[in-house]
Amino acid sequence: MNPGWDFHAIAPVIIITATIVAVLIADFFFEYRGRFRTQQIASLGVLAAMIPIITLAVDGGTREMFNGGFVVDPYSLVFQGFFLAAAYISMLLSVDYIGDGDYYQGEFYVLLLTSVLGMLVMSSARDLISIFVALETISIPTFVLAGWRKHDPKSNEAAIKYYLIGVMSSAVMLYGMSLVFGLTGSTLLSEIADKVRTLDSPLLIVAGFLTIAGFAFKVSAVPFHFWAPDTYEGAPTPVTAFLSVASKVGGFVALLSVVWFGFSPNSAMFQPVLWGLAAASLILGNLVALRQTNIVRMLAYSSIAQGGFILVPFAVASDGGAWTSSIQSVVIYTLIYGAMNLGAFAIVIALARRTRSAEITSFAGLGQYAPGMAIVMSMFLFSLAGVPPFAGWFAKFTMFRAALDANTPAATVLAALAAVSSVIAFFYYARVAREMWFHQPPEGADVHPIRTPVALNAAVVICAAIVIAVGVYPQLFARLGDLAAGG
Amino acid sequence: MIVQNIFFWVLALAMVLGAIGVVRSQNVVHAALYLVVVMAGAAAQYILLAAEFVAWVQVIIYIGAVIILFLFGIMLTRAPMGGDTKLDNDQRWPAAVVSVFLAGVLGALLIDAFGKKEIVISGAKGEQLLQVGKAGHLADSIFTAYVVPFEVVSILLLAALVGAVVIARRD
Amino acid sequence: MIASDPLLSHGIDLEVVLIVIAKTIVVFALLLVLVMFYIWFMRKVIADMQNRIGPNNAGPWGILQTLADGIKFFFKEQSIPDTADRWVFRLAPYLSVLPAFLAFSIIPIGGKVSIAGHQTYLQLADPPIGVLFLLMMSGVGLYGVMLAGWASGSKYPLLGAVRASAQLLSYEAAFGLSVVAVLLHSGTLSTRGIANAQAWTSWHSFVTDWYWSVAIVSFVIFVIAAVAETNHPPFDLVEAEQELVGGFHTEYTGIRFAIFFLAEFMNVITMSAIAVTLFLGGPSGPALGFLPQGGFVNLWIMPVFWFFLKLMVLLFGTVWLRASVPRLRYDQLMDLGWKWLIELSFLAVMVTAVVVVARDQGWDRWIAVPAAFGGALAILGLLRLCMPHRDETVSEVV
Repeated sequence: MNPGWDFHAIAPVIIITATIVAVLIADFFFEYRGRFRTQQIASLGVLAAMIPIITLAVDGGTREMFNGGFVVDPYSLVFQGFFLAAAYISMLLSVDYIGDGDYYQGEFYVLLLTSVLGMLVMSSARDLISIFVALETISIPTFVLAGWRKHDPKSNEAAIKYYLIGVMSSAVMLYGMSLVFGLTGSTLLSEIADKVRTLDSPLLIVAGFLTIAGFAFKVSAVPFHFWAPDTYEGAPTPVTAFLSVASKVGGFVALLSVVWFGFSPNSAMFQPVLWGLAAASLILGNLVALRQTNIVRMLAYSSIAQGGFILVPFAVASDGGAWTSSIQSVVIYTLIYGAMNLGAFAIVIALARRTRSAEITSFAGLGQYAPGMAIVMSMFLFSLAGVPPFAGWFAKFTMFRAALDANTPAATVLAALAAVSSVIAFFYYARVAREMWFHQPPEGADVHPIRTPVALNAAVVICAAIVIAVGVYPQLFARLGDLAAGG
Repeated sequence: MIVQNIFFWVLALAMVLGAIGVVRSQNVVHAALYLVVVMAGAAAQYILLAAEFVAWVQVIIYIGAVIILFLFGIMLTRAPMGGDTKLDNDQRWPAAVVSVFLAGVLGALLIDAFGKKEIVISGAKGEQLLQVGKAGHLADSIFTAYVVPFEVVSILLLAALVGAVVIARRD
Repeated sequence: MIASDPLLSHGIDLEVVLIVIAKTIVVFALLLVLVMFYIWFMRKVIADMQNRIGPNNAGPWGILQTLADGIKFFFKEQSIPDTADRWVFRLAPYLSVLPAFLAFSIIPIGGKVSIAGHQTYLQLADPPIGVLFLLMMSGVGLYGVMLAGWASGSKYPLLGAVRASAQLLSYEAAFGLSVVAVLLHSGTLSTRGIANAQAWTSWHSFVTDWYWSVAIVSFVIFVIAAVAETNHPPFDLVEAEQELVGGFHTEYTGIRFAIFFLAEFMNVITMSAIAVTLFLGGPSGPALGFLPQGGFVNLWIMPVFWFFLKLMVLLFGTVWLRASVPRLRYDQLMDLGWKWLIELSFLAVMVTAVVVVARDQGWDRWIAVPAAFGGALAILGLLRLCMPHRDETVSEVV
């Protein structure tokens, strides 16, 4: 039997796999001082994996393998490119943190790359089994990464909480998937879509609910978010950045694939659940973020709230003519969210190198002694809040456009909720900015200009460039959204 | 057919009792042993479905490795020899209510969805169904339609191994 | 579904059921008798090797010594320690004896014979994936030892149980992988199929057709891992007398203690029988040419004779080991299992796969086989380079 290999289409996956093995083996041969080279190999592997993505994109078209269980089309290429970029930036954030902190290096990048491998497969997976395997491949390495600071009880707590909740959510999701399989007789999303169109069974709604609840844990949507703040706070900050961006978007891609390719003909399977998740995430994430004094916890709640914004188009997708604009919105929002959140974390990491603290008060007076850093941080914060001319406004704009396209009472209510919570969100983002610009640095603080490592600078520059470029010229990402939505 | 139905119910009953034992047991090792009952029951159900290969892999992996590792871990760490440890907490009644409610809802829905379905295992279609559980058929699926997830799982296991070493290593 | 035995293929009537029951009883009794004689045989051989006489009072040459011991055990008081987990403590002996019995049930003892007009194999059951069944039983067999050690509620048994579980898990991987080479060559998972693939077709079949020669690396690994799996010396750390009193069975008395011993020796016999089936051709061997090919002797007696002859040779080997090789240290045990056996068996599987594919595809074997071996050696060298050296400290990371 010929499994129908198309090596061009799975080249990114193969390159990342080869890189994992290469890093693992190389780690044995470098002396302790040379272990940082593992990071170079890993970065090169990620960049090399970009090449086939570009050639595939130039090639265009849709490549299907294994009865349509593995598809390479613009939708998957956009996300694969995003994941590789996010992985590269995460590595830039990690290199000094991991190197200075005297943590295991080779192993760190092996686990990070394994998670990335899961994301690449996730983007192309059109089959419940592949999606499940990919999701586990994303999650399991990050359980360990979250506990990388072995001697810090907070890091241990982060890993344990993340692990227990993650495992439980997988069980719930798998149960839902098994019900879906039982009802439709297939694990292929396209066949599931055919079946659910005509199938009328209350069990189907429960199956959809359980599956989506499992994904909701991964994207830390309220009420499945308990783990996120503690894990984000305890995990090493570069890992937190990776979790809040790459891993979370991995969950969204899974959700999007399952909902769009699988459940879409039967909106009862997903719409009410997602509406509830979106509304709860928006309200709770923003309100609790207001009360945080720790920047990482604040960003954790902020990312829960941002997750709520991303969920809005999901919840309205099947109404009216909203499918296309919803998909576009999800794609664009996740891409922009990734850039601005990674940027914000990069600044937090850079500052924490000096202050050894993640309290919001440690930002006091940053504008006086490190104006460049303060400017960029303000930019990321305002972008997260959705203030033009930074990219965030465009993300929010597409989200509202999808809600208005749907034009149903439920969608309008959700849009109104999103609007109110955007205003709330502005307050806590602005508070950090106020701390930076209008407060004096604390007595006795070291106020020499902050020197940041090259890698960190590069990460900040990349993110800032994206945030400004897309904010000023949104067509850049709008085109990607169109492509992914099959436009 | 009737024989298989009887066996199904006997096994299902054993599994349910085993599962209740897992959560009710005050002793971790007893809980692990009840879990063995549940796993063995699942394996036996696979045999009833003519999926012999899956059944025995289930036994090898779950009973022969996973639960052995549980026991190994328990013995290495606390080993509550003799005296029982308190595993219950204050929330067992709410938990019981929730479980019974969930079991009721899911049971009712499952019966509603599948209660009247009959799977015919005679004739050509039946032969085809029986082939699904065979080792050869499984191997074909793994190495054709599901080869990407299969290979990814092997990388995942490698990563899990690396992660476990990092966590366990004394430094 | 359960068996490809011709006995079950034409419907099931009373006669068939009776034959199956008879076979079950025969296998059960055979195993018990074998254990009895094996223990006597072992004591005699070890006595000879140590210039002693050994048991010589009960029956001719002391042959009934084991029986006498067994009867004595029956009448001994059985005590249960206060701290024991009584339920598990009672259960454990049976858990350890059951898998050994079950594993033996799929060993082909002889060829195809006809009983009362029914064609059948001299073997209790022939599941289509019998080898998995063997692996399963070797995994499940651990429960008896582990639970006995834990349930005794005392320190030495617990240490024995922990050692047992670590040891068996460590060697199970190598054990399973060494079987894979045989499976690749034979292309079947059924024990009957594997035995048939090694049938006696010419005078040199014992080298060319039996798998010990084509899969020699796997055979060696299998033997080592099998000895370790049965907790047989030199791998008997589980019950190292000098360190652990008696290991997992320290607190057991009376017949329960005897059952553990029964299980242990039964495991040795079953493992040897498995080795005979997988690597030494099972019941295959030259027939007596001067008697008719389909006659009683060549159909019934000779295969059984060859099977037991091979079994005897292997069992003698185990006794030899017991008498002559000192026990391994714990770190040596782990080193051997993890650093050598597992990687070697992986490489053996890879080489075997190349050889089998080369055979099926008609590649030139004088190129394919050396290339496979060369590749395997290169990987082995790489792995050796990766391993930490003795003087490399582990504390490089703070």
